[in-house]
Amino acid sequence: MTPAHVSEEVHVELNLSTDNALAITSARRLAGRAGFDEAGQSLIATAVSELATNIIRYGGGGEVVLRLIHEQGEVGQPGRDGVEVVAEDHGPGIRNIERAMQDHFSTGKSLGLGLPGVKRLMDEFFINSKPGVGTLCIARKWRR
Amino acid sequence: MTAKNPVLTALDADLSVRVLNQIPTPVMAVDKDFKIVFMNEAGCSLLGLPLGEITQYKCSELMNSLHCGTPECRMNQAMQSGARATARNEVNIDGRAVPIEYTAAPLKDEAGNIIGGVEYVIDITSRVRDEQKLREQSRTIMEISTPAISLWEGIVVLPVVGVVDSMRAQQMMNTMLAKIKETSSKIIILDIQGVAAVDTAVANHLIKITKATKLMGCRCLISGISPAVAETLVQLGIDLGDVATNATLKDSLGDAFELLHYEVRKTK
Ligand SMILES: Nc1ncnc2c1ncn2[C@@H]1O[C@H](COP(=O)(O)OP(=O)(O)O)[C@@H](O)[C@H]1O
Ligand SMILES: [Mg+2]
Repeated sequence: MTPAHVSEEVHVELNLSTDNALAITSARRLAGRAGFDEAGQSLIATAVSELATNIIRYGGGGEVVLRLIHEQGEVGQPGRDGVEVVAEDHGPGIRNIERAMQDHFSTGKSLGLGLPGVKRLMDEFFINSKPGVGTLCIARKWRR
Repeated sequence: MTAKNPVLTALDADLSVRVLNQIPTPVMAVDKDFKIVFMNEAGCSLLGLPLGEITQYKCSELMNSLHCGTPECRMNQAMQSGARATARNEVNIDGRAVPIEYTAAPLKDEAGNIIGGVEYVIDITSRVRDEQKLREQSRTIMEISTPAISLWEGIVVLPVVGVVDSMRAQQMMNTMLAKIKETSSKIIILDIQGVAAVDTAVANHLIKITKATKLMGCRCLISGISPAVAETLVQLGIDLGDVATNATLKDSLGDAFELLHYEVRKTK
C-alpha cells in the first residue's frame, strides 16, 4: 500500500466481546469526519466489526487502529480522503491465509464471510499472518 | 571517554537498587532455573517475606500463579525467545488470589548472554473489578433495550437498536420466542434500522432467529434494510434466503396486515 498522510488516529483495544461496540461506534464517527455518507459509514463500520470480531474470537485479543487518511493527487488533481483500518493481534495466527480468504471457510462454525467480505467492502486490503506470531490486516476505503 | 570512576559506579549501583526498591510495584529477577535472585521491596511486602528468605525459593513456589510451570509462563517465554512478553495472570499468596498483569524480559549479562529473566508485576484488582462492573452494565443496557412490542392482534415487533453481539442476539431470541408464545402471534417483525453494523455475525443471528420463529409457526419479516445495509449484505456475500425483507417498518407492517387479511381503510 502506498503511504498516506494520517491526520487523525483512534485506538480501540479489543479483549472482550463487548469491546466490539466501541470499535463500531468509533469507526462510524471517524468515517463521518472523513466525509463519508451514511452508506459509507455503515460499510466501514461493518468491515471494522468483522476484523474486530475475528481478533476477539480467534486472535486472543488485540487492537484496531482507525485512521483518517489523505492522499495527494497528481499535479493539478485534487487529492482524496479516506479511512484506514489496521487490525492487529499477537494470537495464534492463520495457517493458510488463502483458505481463510475463501468464501464460507470458517474454523468457528460461522458464515466464513468476514475476511473475504472485508476485502469486497473496502478498496484496498492487505493481510499478513504467521502461526504463533499473530495477524495483521490493513484495509482502506476512499471517499468518492 | 575516560575510565569510569569506581566511586561513581558504586553510587550508581546503590542508586539503581534504591530506585528499584522504591518503585511501588513488585520487580524481580530470576536465574535460568527460576531461582529468585532479586526482589524489590514492593515484592517482598506482597509476599510478606524478607529478601534473604525469598532468594531461597523458585518464583513458582512463592507466586503459585496460574501460569507457573505451564508454557504460558511469560518469564520462560522471554528467556527462550529473548523478547519481552506481557500477560494477565493470577497469583496465589497465602490462599489469597490476586489478579495481576506482568511483563517479563530476558536478563542479560554484559556480553549479552541470557542468564535469567526480570519481570514487573502490576496488581489489577481494581481494573478487573471495573471491567466486571462494565460488563454487568452493558448487560443491563442490553436487557432493557430488547423490548418486544405486541403491535396488533397476531403481530409482534422487535426493534433492534445499537450493537448486536452474540449475547444480545441470544437475548433477542429469548424475548421473541417468549412473546410469540405469550401472544400466539403469527407474524413477527424484526426492525433492524437502528443496528450500528449489520455484519456477518448479525446476519447469522437473524437467519437463526428467523428459523426458530418458523418452527413456532410464526412468520418473520425483517424491516429496516436500508439501501446502505442492502449493499453491505451483498458485498459480504450473505444470502438471506427466503427471509422476507423490507426497507421500512411501514412496508413490513403493510405486508403483515395483508398476510393476516386485515384491511386498513380511511373511513371518510
Ligand atoms: N485474527 C485472527 N487470528 C486467527 N485466525 C483468524 C483471525 N481472523 C480470521 N481467522 C481465521 O480465518 C477464518 C475465516 O475468518 P472469517 O472470514 O472472518 O470467517 P468466520 O469469522 O465466520 O470464521 C476463521 O474461521 C479463522 O480460522
Ligand atoms: Mg469473522
